[in-house]
Amino acid sequence: MSDVCLPEDKLSLKDSLTVRGINRRKFLKFCSTMVATLALPPKYVAQVATALSNVKRPILVWLEFSDCAGNSESMLRATSPSIAEMVLDLLSLEYHEVLMAGSGKYADAVLQRVMRENDGKYIAVVEGAIPLADGGVYCTIGGRTAIDIATQVCKGALATIAVGACAWDGGIVRANPNPTGGVGVEEAVPGIKVVNLGGCPHNPANTAAVLTHYLTFNEMPALDRYSRPLFAYGRVIHDQCERRAHYDAGRFVQEWGDEGHRRGWCLYKMGCKGPQATYNCPTVRWNDATSWPVKSGHGCISCASPRFWDTRSPFYNRIPDVAGFGVDVPVSEIGWALTGAVTAATLAHGIGQAIRTRFRPPQEATAETEADVSLTGSS
Amino acid sequence: MASGTVNARIRPEASWVRVYVWQLPVRLAHWILVGCLVVLSFTGIYIHNPFIVAVSDRSWVMGTMRFIHVMSGFVLISALIWRFYWFFAGNRWARWDQFVPFTKERRSAMKNMMEYYGFLRWWPAPQVGHNPLAGAAYCAVFGLLIIEILTGLALFDNILGNRVLHSFIGWLTLLINLQYLRMIHFGIMFLFGAFLIHHVYSAILISKEERSGLMDSIFTGYKYISPARLSREGVGERVERH
Repeated sequence: MSDVCLPEDKLSLKDSLTVRGINRRKFLKFCSTMVATLALPPKYVAQVATALSNVKRPILVWLEFSDCAGNSESMLRATSPSIAEMVLDLLSLEYHEVLMAGSGKYADAVLQRVMRENDGKYIAVVEGAIPLADGGVYCTIGGRTAIDIATQVCKGALATIAVGACAWDGGIVRANPNPTGGVGVEEAVPGIKVVNLGGCPHNPANTAAVLTHYLTFNEMPALDRYSRPLFAYGRVIHDQCERRAHYDAGRFVQEWGDEGHRRGWCLYKMGCKGPQATYNCPTVRWNDATSWPVKSGHGCISCASPRFWDTRSPFYNRIPDVAGFGVDVPVSEIGWALTGAVTAATLAHGIGQAIRTRFRPPQEATAETEADVSLTGSS
Repeated sequence: MASGTVNARIRPEASWVRVYVWQLPVRLAHWILVGCLVVLSFTGIYIHNPFIVAVSDRSWVMGTMRFIHVMSGFVLISALIWRFYWFFAGNRWARWDQFVPFTKERRSAMKNMMEYYGFLRWWPAPQVGHNPLAGAAYCAVFGLLIIEILTGLALFDNILGNRVLHSFIGWLTLLINLQYLRMIHFGIMFLFGAFLIHHVYSAILISKEERSGLMDSIFTGYKYISPARLSREGVGERVERH
């Protein structure tokens, strides 16, 4: 990351990359990756490269609230020539509690200075949920609550990017019973311009692509109803999965470590949530496009879906348990029990009926003939 | 009907009138629904829990099952739309008011039917069309079918949707999470299974009790009704007789 003291802060992006030893070949490679991630036609590579060469590095403020720092980790977890490296060079990352050299009041002074000098021009990246319960006391930095900091920083920002599930919609912090009252940025600070990059963690390639899009076209990419970029969240994982052929063929992993699992068959029966998850995980992948969960043999947990911790669990069953029937009673068991009960009741009724026919009076002799049914004609 | 000692107890009286109760669209819709529900349940159970272990590199089991499931789903929707149209275009026993006990008479007949099933009454009261209790049960089945169709379309829309379908059903996934839509879609299938068992039993039972040829009627359309019953229901001379 850049330090506030480094002179390269004032350089254009191209010069900054040169200072960092990133040659043109690497730079064009990065541009191609970004264009591919954004699902743009290849002709845009030149446009992206031109734009990124001339643009002044955007100023970025990275806020971290209730979370596990997994999104920062995800950003760093890459090798050269890495997207993370590119992103860090692409940006003038002025404030990031985990990465910055300064600490305490010095760090806080940096944040205040950046906001003062670049009011309405910097981009705020938020990682982690914002707890609102009890006045927001469950997350404070330097004596200030998360909601207080977020409101000040995000309201003064050009745009806010919420990275990870927690910053988007509360994530695991907001999972039931949510004791701290955690919510996402969009909900905590209403009225700001937010791009949500859900996922646990966010994929740095997508974050870089959003920024590249912004720097090239001067606007944020097309967003869905959750303010997530469509290029990353517009397609179902199941439809992009490399194991999809096994699904259609009917070859499924029956249990962990079985023959099918070793041969890379479909993880559908192990509770894979790919069919109801949207993300570009299978194409962008992780750790410099090395792998992604399904490729490594574990089902998707739909981490980029709304409120995934509550709505997509249990992660190892295909459909959720029925409320009121205790833990681990699948709906199929309840269904078969119900069918069995109806069958038993029907059989019992049949036996009762067989007994009744032996000694009941003939229909004409009873008082229960048609006349008794008070259906005396409706015409 | 063939005459003989075996059938004597379930034969209609000689004086009873052969009445065309179930019109062709009603019978066709009935059997298409039966066929679709059987096929949909089988393929649905497979889709929920793929119990066929395919190992061949030429197999296409899930693909075929899903294709059949989706196709029979659309056939079921068409049959149901047809049947709903016949609620208004059909004869008096096909109409929508046969399925909800609106009148005092039908509520009373419904109560009597419950008493009969509960062994509190010796005989059921014969009906020309659906007895009101059965009608109410079919109303519930129609309701469940609509839930199945809506959840099914929402799940279909998630994978193979288009703009038109999405504008029709997209709201449902916002209201209920996909996971729970799957659970509802799967769970209701068992209600159809339970209904099927009871439905076949009660059809045989009432057919014997009424001696109306009820079981045959879903194939032929004709039931045997006593003239007294016909006049009580006010059918009179308007009924089509053969």
